[in-house]
Amino acid sequence: MSTEKIQGTRSDMIVCENVDKWFGDFQALKGITATIAEKEVVVVLGPSGSGKSTWIRCINRLEAHQKGTIIVDGVELTNDLRNIEKIRSEVGMVFQQFNLFPHITVLDNVTLAPKWVRKLPRAAAEERAKELLEMVGIPEQAAKYPGQLSGGQQQRVAIARALAMEPRIMLFDEPTSALDPEMIKEVLDVMRDLALGGMTMMVVTHEMGFAREVADRIFFLESGEIVEVGTPEHFFTNPTEDRTKLFLSQIL
Amino acid sequence: MNEPTMIKVESRPEETSSTPREWIRKNLFSNIPNTILTIVFGAFTIYAIRGVLGFVLSGERRWEAVATNMRLLMAQGYPANQFVRVWFTLGCLMALTGLSLAAWKASGRLPATKISIWIMNTGAGLALFAVLAPISAASKLGWVIAAAIFLLIGLGIWFGLRGENKRPTGSMPTVWFSFGFLAILVLSLWTVPYGHYAFVEGELIAETGRTVAMSTKLPFTVMWLILVGSYLFGVRIREYIPSGRTKAVLVGLWFLSPFILNWIVLRDPDFDYAHIASTDIPLALLFIIGGGVALYILSKPSLGEVGRILAIGLLFFAVFNWIGAFFGWYSMLQKVRISFVLLALAALIAPNFASDRKTRLRFVAGWSALIAISHWLITAVNSPSTLELQGPTYLGGFSLTLFVAVLTLLLSFPLGVLLALGRTSTMPIARVLCTGYIESIRGVPLITILFFFSNILPLFLPEGMEIAELAAIVTGYTLFSAAYLAENVRGGLQSVMREQYEASDAIGLTTSQRTGFIVLPQALRVSIPPLVGQAIGVFKETSLVAIIGAYDILRIANSVVPAQTEFLGVKREGLLLVSVIYFIVAFSMSKYSRRLEERVGLGER
Amino acid sequence: MSETSSPSYHHQKPPFYRDATVVKWLFQLGALALVIFALWFLSSQARDNLAARDISTGFDFLSIDPGINLSEGIDTRPATGGRALWVGMVNTIRLATAGILFATILGLFVGLARLSKNLVVNKLGSVFVETLRNIPLLVQILLYGAILANLGDLQFDSGWDNWVIWSNKGLSVPRVFIADGFYQWVVFMIIGAIAARWAYNRRSRLRDETGQDAYPGFASLGVLGAFAVIGWFIHPIFGWVGNIFGGIEDGISKIPEEALQAVLSILAVVLAVNWIRGFLKSRRTPGGSAHLTDDDKFRIFFAGIGAGLAILVVYVVWPGLSSWIINSSSDLFGVLEDKFGNGRTGGPFGVDRPEVVKPGKFEKYGPSGLTMSLGFAAVFFGVVLYTAAFIAEIVRGGILAVPKGQIEAANSLGMKRSAALRTVILPQALRVIMPPLGNQYLNLTKNTSLAIAVGFSDLVQVGQTVGNQTGKNLSVFAIWMLFYLACSLTISVAVNFFNVRLKIVER
Repeated sequence: MSTEKIQGTRSDMIVCENVDKWFGDFQALKGITATIAEKEVVVVLGPSGSGKSTWIRCINRLEAHQKGTIIVDGVELTNDLRNIEKIRSEVGMVFQQFNLFPHITVLDNVTLAPKWVRKLPRAAAEERAKELLEMVGIPEQAAKYPGQLSGGQQQRVAIARALAMEPRIMLFDEPTSALDPEMIKEVLDVMRDLALGGMTMMVVTHEMGFAREVADRIFFLESGEIVEVGTPEHFFTNPTEDRTKLFLSQIL
Repeated sequence: MNEPTMIKVESRPEETSSTPREWIRKNLFSNIPNTILTIVFGAFTIYAIRGVLGFVLSGERRWEAVATNMRLLMAQGYPANQFVRVWFTLGCLMALTGLSLAAWKASGRLPATKISIWIMNTGAGLALFAVLAPISAASKLGWVIAAAIFLLIGLGIWFGLRGENKRPTGSMPTVWFSFGFLAILVLSLWTVPYGHYAFVEGELIAETGRTVAMSTKLPFTVMWLILVGSYLFGVRIREYIPSGRTKAVLVGLWFLSPFILNWIVLRDPDFDYAHIASTDIPLALLFIIGGGVALYILSKPSLGEVGRILAIGLLFFAVFNWIGAFFGWYSMLQKVRISFVLLALAALIAPNFASDRKTRLRFVAGWSALIAISHWLITAVNSPSTLELQGPTYLGGFSLTLFVAVLTLLLSFPLGVLLALGRTSTMPIARVLCTGYIESIRGVPLITILFFFSNILPLFLPEGMEIAELAAIVTGYTLFSAAYLAENVRGGLQSVMREQYEASDAIGLTTSQRTGFIVLPQALRVSIPPLVGQAIGVFKETSLVAIIGAYDILRIANSVVPAQTEFLGVKREGLLLVSVIYFIVAFSMSKYSRRLEERVGLGER
Repeated sequence: MSETSSPSYHHQKPPFYRDATVVKWLFQLGALALVIFALWFLSSQARDNLAARDISTGFDFLSIDPGINLSEGIDTRPATGGRALWVGMVNTIRLATAGILFATILGLFVGLARLSKNLVVNKLGSVFVETLRNIPLLVQILLYGAILANLGDLQFDSGWDNWVIWSNKGLSVPRVFIADGFYQWVVFMIIGAIAARWAYNRRSRLRDETGQDAYPGFASLGVLGAFAVIGWFIHPIFGWVGNIFGGIEDGISKIPEEALQAVLSILAVVLAVNWIRGFLKSRRTPGGSAHLTDDDKFRIFFAGIGAGLAILVVYVVWPGLSSWIINSSSDLFGVLEDKFGNGRTGGPFGVDRPEVVKPGKFEKYGPSGLTMSLGFAAVFFGVVLYTAAFIAEIVRGGILAVPKGQIEAANSLGMKRSAALRTVILPQALRVIMPPLGNQYLNLTKNTSLAIAVGFSDLVQVGQTVGNQTGKNLSVFAIWMLFYLACSLTISVAVNFFNVRLKIVER
């Protein structure tokens, strides 16, 4: 059987169709249907508890959706172990709390997965890791432990760690929410560079400036539903839905 | 009385830098109730010390019963002409200790303040002893002089090195302080007339007023020299060999040492060289080459699920070999069966090494080493011992205690970790099985488990299969201690954040990689202090083997020595000695664990 | 909502060996099969081996004379194996209860001593803890046994004036016993407790309203004390309580056996169904797809199995269960009728001093005092001192765990030291102390099994003797397990009860 057959057009990186997800009684996602193209940068906005994080976590199957279909890079997310393995190495994820491994050095954090999942030789993995750390601007911290780094530096290491797997898609789950204001910029800069480099990105964030500047499209979620989709221009200047207007009036 | 806890409190007045008088006032006589407490409990303390000293030094005590039977208490009936093996074993451990101290850079330093206070405390303790002990005036004078010498040395250090803030400056490495302390103990063997007691051909020899026998003091001196020499050697080679490699080798040696030292050095197996040449070596080579080739193929990156299915098939085959042997359908050498199990386990982890040629070859090399060592050990264990024994086993006394404790800890650790993982896993059946096992073991006393394994286990074994008493005991201890260990590890596992699991999943680690690289290292670090506590528990509980009939140090002190015609009914002396020995080991371990706990706490920040 | 019309995908089912759920369950079933196989294999081996040795398993030895003598207990020459084990259990429980009581008291004092600012007291506490917990309990028990065995021979003038007597035959202390009027006095005390609670509430309300210190604790203690004293003299007026119990006894004995059987089985089914319904309800999602995890299915399955087992027990395994329940509960009320009945006029308690008698050639302890045999004393001192060392550390840790800020806050509110201790520190400390304390009680209970080393007839020692005598080691092992598991359960239920109470206090 080939997974190629079921994929849509090649440029569709993420396809969600009628995705439902419950936590017990609470329905977190209600019939999410969306398609994200290759090299597209999508920002997901919405009040807290609207299901943004749940959606993004379903896309690399940290949470299993219960109804509907999710297809990532032509691979459907099911219970198939091989598919799960494939998705995990194709999709990089950056968390709100960085979630670095505190007991190993920064370099080991970045090389662990390439060595053991991609089976790169150690030298190659370390070389690549150093390039990535250079890219995110902290090559000199490689030998330190995560606990010795500032929040912004930790988040950049987390980005490097995700990139080390050479993913085709990057998911960002509120990457700047846990950071002090002066560190937000350094992380956003790295993300901006990444977007300019042509990475497919899905970003949950509250940084409106970033959304306006970098996003190709903005999704607005409320109570587990996609309320409005549009380009930043449309979204910030001329939203159609009342709920979007209310949200924007509250945060801008 | 130079108990280290005392020092902590006494070195505390640093902050206030009060005079001794103020200090005494503050800690002992600050107000009326406090004064009453001091007087009442001070009187009680003096009364208690007098009582203990009176008991210990009473003319009715027959300490020579202990002195004479020291070898029995330590090594039971180990043949005297082969005793060099015991010393060799101890020497190896000393060398490993010295090298490890050097490799791990035991760099702690003791401040002169502390040393001086310890020495002065010892002096004060001796003075207290001289005053309270029921001994003759002449010997009292001797003790007073000794006390004065200690106090003078301590004061000398204090005032000789006194710096700006009225306290001594400078420090010395803890390692060298310990070596010096041990040197004093060893020197005392050559100079202090402890007396010489022994059974020589059944006759009691008791010579007071001379130093201990040459067969005691010489080996201990050599041990000290080996310890210090290997430390110096370790410090030297630190410059030439990368420390990571030295540490890896040392850890490997520590793990192997109980097996090699016990089954090969102490047990002295009688190797059948013809059989080894005709069967054992070809068999080992067969597994090294055949298994190596198989593993090289199984770690091919393009193999995918086929490799896993093959590995599981191999595991079924390996397990089925045992079943077949139990039912007598077909049989093969024990060694072959064990090797197949090892091969199947290696095949299961092979996909993790599916990478370039170099990694795969390293994996195969590891396999070869595993087979070589395990085959050698199995051959050694299965060869009969050449020792002529008086007792049922070649181990007894304190060495049996140590052996059971070390082996139990080594074996129960992996089992406990597995149980903890099972109990915290998301698989209901595995969880129910592990929880059921852990809770039912923890619910019953150890002694009933030991009875089960020494009385009842033989009933469960298939015909023709027997289990040695010692093996039954260690099995029982291991299964018991694993349940407790699992609970400690579980605590650590629960302290690992959920996010760590998610992050590992997100970068694509498999469950086993996640467990091995991310979860367990963090969990075990947190559970080190309770694990050391558990180790102390295991060590103390080894005393229970005395009840089910093994000749450990407690059994010998409690029932063997009191049965000797020379020392009929002399029980309390031996039991006191056993208490002191257990106390020294357990107390130093708990001190160490408390230090570890502080360090772990610091690491958390 | 979707802007691009995405093609409709059909779900692909992966082959079973790649399906995460299937693999997980196959793995578990494989492990379960392996465990069941191992157990089956071992038990079949055991059966063969036992048959070969002409030993039968089973519990028939419980009703056969084991022909053994026990060193002490309620029956030193038990007529049946069951009776012998019962004596052992009573001895174990006696030892464990006394041990827990004294270890708690001693541990509390030593723990407080470790916190004392007085250097001498503090150091004494440290030495006590460090010494005793680092010497194995078994070594301590044997050492205490050896020291006690070297005490002098028993004579008429041994000990302190017939209050405490010690010798190499053991220790004897005054015995407080429950006398004739105890049960009626208990009725008085129950009423007293209710009254005390009322007084407490009233005084607290008074304090809340007026703001003055109304000493509710002292008031309630006073009320309780008054009832205790008055009840000591006039308790016979409660003789009529016995008649109530008599009535209940008659009522119960008239219940037909079949009715109880049916009620029990219906109860089991109703409970299971009720539980499953509640469970399903809690898992239902509004989307309708009640998404049960494998874990949930497992629980439901076990609930069903549990109900089935209960019915099986009631009708097949132990058909006499219901008549046993009827008989024993009517017996119970019969006993209560007797105990609470009229005509019991003595005081609730009595005290007897120990004595030395000389019936034959040698002196021995008379029956009046509370006598501890040598074995009992050795194990008792062992477990008490050993456990007290651990309890002391728990108490100390618990009090130190209360943040310093809490004490400072209490002081800054102008609370008195005693009030701060009672209302701020103790509740918080107890919350930390209780769980490990319960653990220590469990350990103590299990540790009493070391009594076998000094020949005290606890359950393990008796069981070992009975097992060796009859060859029923396996059955004895099962009884040991059941007994100790029951003890563990009892203690953890008790500790949990206190914990729940503490949590209420916290609120």
